[in-house]
Amino acid sequence: MRILLIEDESKVASFVKRGLVAERYAVDVASDGKQGLEFAMSFQYDLIILDLLLPGIDGNTVLKRIRAVDTKVPVLILTARDAVQDKVSNFEAGADDYLTKPFAFAELQVRVKALLRRGPVNRASTVRLRDLELDRLSQQVKRAGKRIELTTKEYSLLEYLMSNAGRVLSRNMIVEHVWDESFDGLTNVVDVYIRHLRKKVDDSHECKLIHTVRGVGYAVRDESEA
Amino acid sequence: MNNKSLRFKMTLWYAGLLAIALLMFGATVYVGLERHLNREMNESLVRQARTIGDEVLASVAARGSQFAVTEIDESYEPEVNGRFIRVTREDGNLLYQSHSPRDASFDATQLMPATGRDKEGYKPRMMNVGGKQLVLQGLLYETPAGDRFLIETGAPYQLIAAQLRSARLALALGTPVFLIAAALGGLILVRNSLRPLRAITEQAEQISSANLSQRLPVASTGDEVERLALSLNRMIERLEESIQHISRFSADVSHELRTPLTILRGELETMAQQRSRDAESLEMIGNSLEEIDRLTRIVDQLLIISRLDAGQAGMERELVNLGELAVSTAEQMRLLADEKKIAVHFSVEPKVYVAGDRLRLKQVLVNLLDNAIKYTAEMGNIELIVRAESGRALLGVADNGIGIAGRELPYVFDRFYRTDKARTRATGGAGLGLSIVKAIAAAHEGRVWITSTEGNGTTLWMELLLSPDPSELQLTDIERRTGAEQAMGLRELQAGAKGS
Repeated sequence: MRILLIEDESKVASFVKRGLVAERYAVDVASDGKQGLEFAMSFQYDLIILDLLLPGIDGNTVLKRIRAVDTKVPVLILTARDAVQDKVSNFEAGADDYLTKPFAFAELQVRVKALLRRGPVNRASTVRLRDLELDRLSQQVKRAGKRIELTTKEYSLLEYLMSNAGRVLSRNMIVEHVWDESFDGLTNVVDVYIRHLRKKVDDSHECKLIHTVRGVGYAVRDESEA
Repeated sequence: MNNKSLRFKMTLWYAGLLAIALLMFGATVYVGLERHLNREMNESLVRQARTIGDEVLASVAARGSQFAVTEIDESYEPEVNGRFIRVTREDGNLLYQSHSPRDASFDATQLMPATGRDKEGYKPRMMNVGGKQLVLQGLLYETPAGDRFLIETGAPYQLIAAQLRSARLALALGTPVFLIAAALGGLILVRNSLRPLRAITEQAEQISSANLSQRLPVASTGDEVERLALSLNRMIERLEESIQHISRFSADVSHELRTPLTILRGELETMAQQRSRDAESLEMIGNSLEEIDRLTRIVDQLLIISRLDAGQAGMERELVNLGELAVSTAEQMRLLADEKKIAVHFSVEPKVYVAGDRLRLKQVLVNLLDNAIKYTAEMGNIELIVRAESGRALLGVADNGIGIAGRELPYVFDRFYRTDKARTRATGGAGLGLSIVKAIAAAHEGRVWITSTEGNGTTLWMELLLSPDPSELQLTDIERRTGAEQAMGLRELQAGAKGS
């Protein structure tokens, strides 16, 4: 998988590239719009990550020119602007997803992955992690064969964590996915729900599956494997 | 017509002044006419008396009194002309007296005989003769032979009165007709000259922060209205510039602040993921990341406020059932309250509708409820109130928490204001929650206020303009049914909330 990153802030470009390379993607970095366009026209990319505020040719124009020749390549926009009209105008110009700075790298990872596997998305009806089992059709959760009763919100939260098992999800990602924008900045709601979820899922078991990553967020993973 | 409109006022003033002018003019003309007619009549009476003296009485001594009587009758025909003529000798003997005129305008027999008092003649006098007014003029005439006569000539006042009457009639009828015509003309004139003003008003109503690039119509007439339109347009231009400036500024600020935050966060996350880290440095990295989160939230919230202030927040306007939104939001936050064993009670009217941005109104509810939960002790109570009150939708969140001192109340909606400095870190907010609530209320043309007694709890209120209940408007059956289901759902939620 080859990704083009068009970003003029070299420090942002550097850690994004590092992180993506660690995930075994091949990453090319272009530091302005002109170079970005040249790269995009010369090579076949699986994904383009585009910063909007670029010197020379701005991100919007780059996006339009890329779309003029290639309508398929997924484009993920990075921007510091989060006004609704900016978002709308970018989706109209052909962006596939949108990430507002500052973002948790975990969030970028999740979105990159989602965009790359857009075709055949793995939406198996049952997700398993060790002895924890979640059935998306019946919305039932079992641990070691025993059924766990969850509220709707607890279920959505666990489903989101399980679908991204092994990945750290930031509180903001969780809030936006399980609640909505109006809960932004009220991330303690996530902590409370995680606490409840833990009580039901992990408390009576030796092997804990829900993990806190300080300052980053939460992850569901089987640490005994590592 | 609106009796406060400029058109009405101008026409009223104009017509009023015109009416006063017309009345004064009419009065002057009438008085002048009356004087003129009186003088004219008096002069003609004097002239007649003098002619009688010169032509008839001068030769009485030579030709005898009978000649004088016949001569006056024949030459002046007082009965035919409707005049009165009486000639009296100096000694009081009557020489001639005319009879009542044929048109019976007065009765000559009722006239008192001339007395000796009027030896020098007299000024015109008005006599009441059998109920009819007669103007009498007395002239003392001395013949060349030395005989002296008092010649009295008279005419009925009716002659003058009739003319005055028709003049009065003409004025009384003509003035209002003229006045109405002039007022109507004035009204049309004013309306025509105010028409551009109306166009300006209509256009100005349409202009909001969302379409500030529009301008008012300018009719190039060179008058005050054109000047007004031009200066209003210049004002809109300045507004547009400053709003553009604000949104440019907030875009710049967000970029300048968010880029370094992105880098910090990215680098720290990379560090945190290296498995060789010891627990102590992981703790330090975690702390730093949490502070970056806090900074990010502050930047986000400041930008939200500044955009709301500039009216550029991309506000949606839809019909929102405030009660339903309040209950569902409270349900979503139920667990937060449960954590502290706080009971949430609902006094929610089911059909309180407002026109607003659903997500932002929800943000208000989230912020208010979050605040209430934070500042209420364990086992406390929170009441969520939604009701309609004389055209206003009221939302209230009351808690029985620690309360706020009276001197602090005016500042709670200020940015970064905290009533209890010690709580800063523990409760985690940035001190911007209520500022956002206030900005959202203001963006909805509503207002917020707070009532509190220290130790007894706090109530935060938001007041918005009430929208009519859509189910009372024309609705299809399906929509009506959904409305009923929603109302039922709301009741269930209320029951559920009360039961817990």
